[in-house]
Amino acid sequence: MRRTVVVLVLAALTLGMVAATAAQAPRALVVQTGTEPPGLDLTATPASATAAVVLYNVQECLVKVDESGKIVPWLAERWHTSDNRNYTFFLKKGVRFHNGRELKAADVKFVVERAMNPETKHPYPRYYEAIGDIIVKDDYTITFSLKAPTANFLLNMARQGSVIYPREAVDTLKSAPVGTGPFTVAEWVRGDRIVLKRFAGYHTKGLPRVDQVTFRFIPDPNAALAALKAGDIDASLFGLGPEHVADLRKDGRFEVIVGETTNDVIMAMNNSRKPFTDVRVRRAVTHAINKADVVKLAMFGLGRVIGSNVDPLNPYFVDLAGAVPHDPAKARKLLTEAGYPNGFEAVLRVAPQYYYTVRAGEVIVDQLAKVGVKVKIEQIEWGQWLSRVWKEADYDLTIIGHAEAWDIANYANAKYYYRYDNPKFQELFKQSEVTLDDKARRQQYAQMQRMLADEAPVVFLFIHPRLVVAKKGVTGFWKDLPIPSANLAEVGWTAPK
Amino acid sequence: MRRYVVRRVAAFAVTLLFVSVLVFVVVRVLPGDPAELILGTERDPATAERLRESLGLNRPLAVQYAAWLGGAVRGDLGTSIQYDVPVGRLIVSRLPVTLPLTLLAATFMIAVAVPLGVYAATRYRRGADYLAMVVSQLGIAVPSFWSGLLLILFFSVYLGWFRSGGFDGWASGVWSGIKSLLLPAVALGLFQAAVLVRATRSAVLDVMREDFVRTARAKGLPERRVIALHTLRNAMIPIVTVIGLQLGQLMAGSIVLESVFALPGLGRLALGAISARDLPVVQGVTLFVATTIVFINFAVDLAYAFVDPRIKYD
Repeated sequence: MRRTVVVLVLAALTLGMVAATAAQAPRALVVQTGTEPPGLDLTATPASATAAVVLYNVQECLVKVDESGKIVPWLAERWHTSDNRNYTFFLKKGVRFHNGRELKAADVKFVVERAMNPETKHPYPRYYEAIGDIIVKDDYTITFSLKAPTANFLLNMARQGSVIYPREAVDTLKSAPVGTGPFTVAEWVRGDRIVLKRFAGYHTKGLPRVDQVTFRFIPDPNAALAALKAGDIDASLFGLGPEHVADLRKDGRFEVIVGETTNDVIMAMNNSRKPFTDVRVRRAVTHAINKADVVKLAMFGLGRVIGSNVDPLNPYFVDLAGAVPHDPAKARKLLTEAGYPNGFEAVLRVAPQYYYTVRAGEVIVDQLAKVGVKVKIEQIEWGQWLSRVWKEADYDLTIIGHAEAWDIANYANAKYYYRYDNPKFQELFKQSEVTLDDKARRQQYAQMQRMLADEAPVVFLFIHPRLVVAKKGVTGFWKDLPIPSANLAEVGWTAPK
Repeated sequence: MRRYVVRRVAAFAVTLLFVSVLVFVVVRVLPGDPAELILGTERDPATAERLRESLGLNRPLAVQYAAWLGGAVRGDLGTSIQYDVPVGRLIVSRLPVTLPLTLLAATFMIAVAVPLGVYAATRYRRGADYLAMVVSQLGIAVPSFWSGLLLILFFSVYLGWFRSGGFDGWASGVWSGIKSLLLPAVALGLFQAAVLVRATRSAVLDVMREDFVRTARAKGLPERRVIALHTLRNAMIPIVTVIGLQLGQLMAGSIVLESVFALPGLGRLALGAISARDLPVVQGVTLFVATTIVFINFAVDLAYAFVDPRIKYD
């Protein structure tokens, strides 16, 4: 009898332990990112490395861009506008900052007024230009009255520069930002890692799914791959190259997520410099490039070919990938018509900091040579690229990814480094900014995209893919990336490590 | 000796002044504007101008340099544009990685290269000598980032003995600190060890042809004593010179390996600062490294007197 009891007790203990181990999924996550944020203040830097860590993880906005790119209520549980000039937001009650204080409408007013103040050196003052008055009606109701209808007002309130923080924490924004997000910043070991801890008072019940997230900065893609394979990190968020995908897909230990981003990679042509002033030359260059081959050779087949500016995550996206197809014979014909029967010479300036620019450049140089356009690649460092290409437009050709969503405005700006000056396009864009009827605006966007495909101010190449590789059992990552946030609130373990 | 030290300190000050002017001018001549790099491609020109103003970048170059030098002399290297933290504090916070890494690499380099070089010299034109030369040639040919990756693949991914990168700090124990620096130290030391093997071998060979070595052998001393007491001691001057130069190169080499092993050291700080045009940090780190190298050279000069008592600094 005694023996039976002992055996039973032992069995129960063993089963209990097994059950406990099985039920207890790990509560910590180590993720890799390639670039260390230059600072954690989203109101002082446009760096996507900062947004990756802070946006939606530590600080949040009145409204949020969801996985599909749609704007949804967030710190404001709803909003209302009857004339598209006065937007009233109704704040969610009981939302607390990490310092324990409740979020009130006065905080929102303070934050937006601070962004509008030129002295604060906010990186995107133009997003708040349209705001006239900000009226706090009560603790949970705030109205923005705009000087003129602005179609992108809600989007601007969801962007990384519009995060809400308590006024008493302004001084710590750069190194220890306080917000309402699911995590608090626990530690930042510069050069090595940022540790986020679960915020127990988070306003959405059940989230976040883990107690701690460590962002490790591993700049070298091969080192990131080794860290993943050695089990030192649970997921790689930003940094692995497309060349690693085939191998990792075969490895049963990992889950590979390939999705869309808003990062459209283009080859810009200097529209103010001969021969690119001639639309026939620009079309010829576009016809000469086999974009599918560029994606295949430079991106290992990952990345979606595009034909115009708007990205597939944008609700107004029109697929124009085939609008100017690969046609070397037509390219030669157009070059002859433009007075360049033997082609011409040009320099392609690229910044190797972005690996895809050099790789795509090498493929394109080869393709252009086949129609007589002789291109020399010149690699320059990122700081120089910003200064020479982007600021002074001192270039013939360049390749770069534009990660910002809704950036068609750049083509309406004749001073932008494309130097594309088309009054018709500029007028159409101006109209689209004040058109609030969705159907009419969709038509204007479609028209703008077609105009860009036809005018070819740049060669629209492909969408840079989102690439996340995680250990099996880690779930909750967004497939697509409509905004540069790692968005880890819903990420957690479904199974033990 | 005192006069020698005074002369050296004066030369030291002039060298640093020269380095500081050079770095100051070079980082400013480079195309690329810190304000633009901070604000990125969507920046507003007026905001960039205000930022430039607040960073003091609108003042004439000479005024900027004088202000910076004035601060540096008082020990204030300015404030990092990127991190908004005093540069001195940033440098100090990176030393617990870079200094032990360099020292470990140097220890590895000396411990491997000097015995191997001596051994190769004693086996001159025999199998072991050729083998040592082939191995050292390989060591010179393989870039350190590549040997670093191979070490990670073998020891971290395949065997799982070491972490693949990163640094937890010394707080979690001396062994855990050393463990995260061991692979990068080996990768860093490998190239320099290969160079040192060749230098040691040829220095020892030169001495072995000297008359006093022949005399030592002739009077019947065992070969081990001939090598250890007579040859090696006399071959030390060129070897110490090479080691001194290599210590500086190890510090510079850490820039690459700190990236491969994701270590928060001085090299990565400098690299990040250069690409972000964080001018005060670039200047501060360069000045610090230059000072260290000048100090090492000074130490090497003093070591000569220790190695060879005939050398006196008067």
